[in-house]
Amino acid sequence: MPEGVVRTEHLWKRFRADRRRMLLRDELQRVGARLRGRGGRGWRWALRDVNVMAQPGEAIGLIGSNGSGKTTLLKILSRVMYPYAGTAVAGGRVGALLEVRAGIHPDLTGRENVFVTGSLLGLRRKEVAQRFDEIVSFAELEDAIDRQVKFFSSGMQMRLGFAVAAFLEPDVLLVDEALAVGDATFQQKCLDRMRVVLSQGTTLFFVSHDFAAVEATCERGIWLRQGEIEADGPIRDILGAYRQSIEEAAEADYRVEGLVRLLKAEASGVGGGPRTQEAFEIRTVVESSEPRAGRIFLGISEGPAMPIFVLRRDVQLNGETAVRCSIPRLPLPRGRYYVWAGIYDAPGRELLPWHPITHFDVVGPDLDAAPPATARLAPIHVDATWDVSSL
Amino acid sequence: MSAAEAQTVPPSHLRFRRPFRPIEALRQLYHARELIRTLAERELRVRYKQAILGLAWAFITPLALTLVFSVFIRRLAAIDTGDAPYQVFAYLGLLPWTFFSTSVSVGGQSLVQNIPLLNRVYCPREVFPLASVMVAGFDMLVALVPFGALLIIYGFVPKVTSYWVPVLLVVQVIFSLAVALLVSAIVVYLRDLRHALPILLQLGLFATPVAYGLDVVPVSLQPLYVMLNPLGAVIDGYRRVVLYGLPPDWGLVLPAAVSALLMLAVGYYLFKRMETGFADVA
Repeated sequence: MPEGVVRTEHLWKRFRADRRRMLLRDELQRVGARLRGRGGRGWRWALRDVNVMAQPGEAIGLIGSNGSGKTTLLKILSRVMYPYAGTAVAGGRVGALLEVRAGIHPDLTGRENVFVTGSLLGLRRKEVAQRFDEIVSFAELEDAIDRQVKFFSSGMQMRLGFAVAAFLEPDVLLVDEALAVGDATFQQKCLDRMRVVLSQGTTLFFVSHDFAAVEATCERGIWLRQGEIEADGPIRDILGAYRQSIEEAAEADYRVEGLVRLLKAEASGVGGGPRTQEAFEIRTVVESSEPRAGRIFLGISEGPAMPIFVLRRDVQLNGETAVRCSIPRLPLPRGRYYVWAGIYDAPGRELLPWHPITHFDVVGPDLDAAPPATARLAPIHVDATWDVSSL
Repeated sequence: MSAAEAQTVPPSHLRFRRPFRPIEALRQLYHARELIRTLAERELRVRYKQAILGLAWAFITPLALTLVFSVFIRRLAAIDTGDAPYQVFAYLGLLPWTFFSTSVSVGGQSLVQNIPLLNRVYCPREVFPLASVMVAGFDMLVALVPFGALLIIYGFVPKVTSYWVPVLLVVQVIFSLAVALLVSAIVVYLRDLRHALPILLQLGLFATPVAYGLDVVPVSLQPLYVMLNPLGAVIDGYRRVVLYGLPPDWGLVLPAAVSALLMLAVGYYLFKRMETGFADVA
């Protein structure tokens, strides 16, 4: 297998559904239950028929909700775990940061951990020594490197783990959600380092719930859902599809209990559309059993819960009240968006909790793509004219 | 099988079986040598730094047992130790026994004690029991010091045939490693077994010719016995070469060596088979 190539074929992995204590006593009980014909199967599939092929230098973002198999996949690629069926190969040296508490052994010092990890990756002592200072200064651990890793804070452990994984010239780099423990500055440093490593031809698998970080780092996305690959493609499309599914699930799930009720929620363009930079309106009908003063918030979001913009208005509610919000020029590029609503009274108490109420698809120009390794925060369509002339 | 079922379980021909490749496994183990050395070093440093008596712990157990044996066992049964003092005879048996017992009790628990590591970093898992066996080896070196003292006290000079010791040592290490590997892997799956370990080792001490000589086993059964318990041949061998000036009894040492090697091969194979599931239950 060439260095940096990652391939899984029909990869399956299962775990016991019950949390086993691994005791002889329990084992005997289980055998007893099975003999009496009451043995439950009790397996849960963590990965089902997963096929992934990655070329050297590719950056792949793994997304999916908790328990969808992302970490299991990384564990199998790093050879910590073995598949139930199928094959998984990662060519060359595999650097992995699978959990916060990184490093080979908590009883060893930071220094020992660096050298031992290097030797496990097949590097000579001299080769590790050459990179040692770089690792320590990147992890900002100059004062702590000769302390046992178990006395490190979780941030320090993560920093060491990442630095070791990313500086010992891996052919494949696997990074799990662990980065989230670092402070914002260090996270940025890690993302920058990942880009450097990528440019050297390392294959990256990156798991994160920070969509902006994933989008900025990876060009390809794989979306895992209940152990199966739901979608595999350009990261923007995959993130879009994933966001959409979250929103839809959220919309279906919300059974909102409030002091007021929303009887109707519609979003549409005025005279066709909705189209970019054309008139758009949101029409709602709110029902309140008694007269109340309230403040209604309407938000438009692309991903879950985080609105691109919010509009608000104080309203007097009594019986059924129609609330219409018009936007003369809708500043959104092509795509699917969600309307969220919430109503609060003057002290800020909830009359109707913040929740998604409807969605709409905008027809119009695509958003211009950002330069490599840069993520845009939210999609806004800005009308612009360019003037380029040679002088 | 219906179509729906076919999608919920992988077809059986896809079942993953990690092939047992001893050469590849040993190559990876070679890459892990630094980890083994560092782990053993760390273990020793912790052990001898924290305990007040420090190094003494390595020989307190064999010395205390020698005392117990010479006060009680010798009273109960007549033990023929030739012209060697009983204390020297017993201590010489306790040296390999303590090595074995430390290897198995520390090495046997080495994986469970490192459970958090088993499911987040990759390394050949046998490094943990291996490091424990190395620690046991160091302990044995330390325990040689009081052995020297015993020799001086009783004015006993080891025989020239002692040059056979390394051969016997190899058999001793192979057998201890085999048991440590196997026990460590089994304990991951059946954790309550580790509480049974001290009792089993205690029984083993009396089932092995440590307090007494191998001659309690009928001569015709001795080859069979040492194949089940190679340590019997090792201890008997040490006594022959160090105390009596005889060469090892090859009729016993050879079967013991073959059996120990076989146990190591089987033990390593089983360990490698069980290794694929360690992270799942860790």
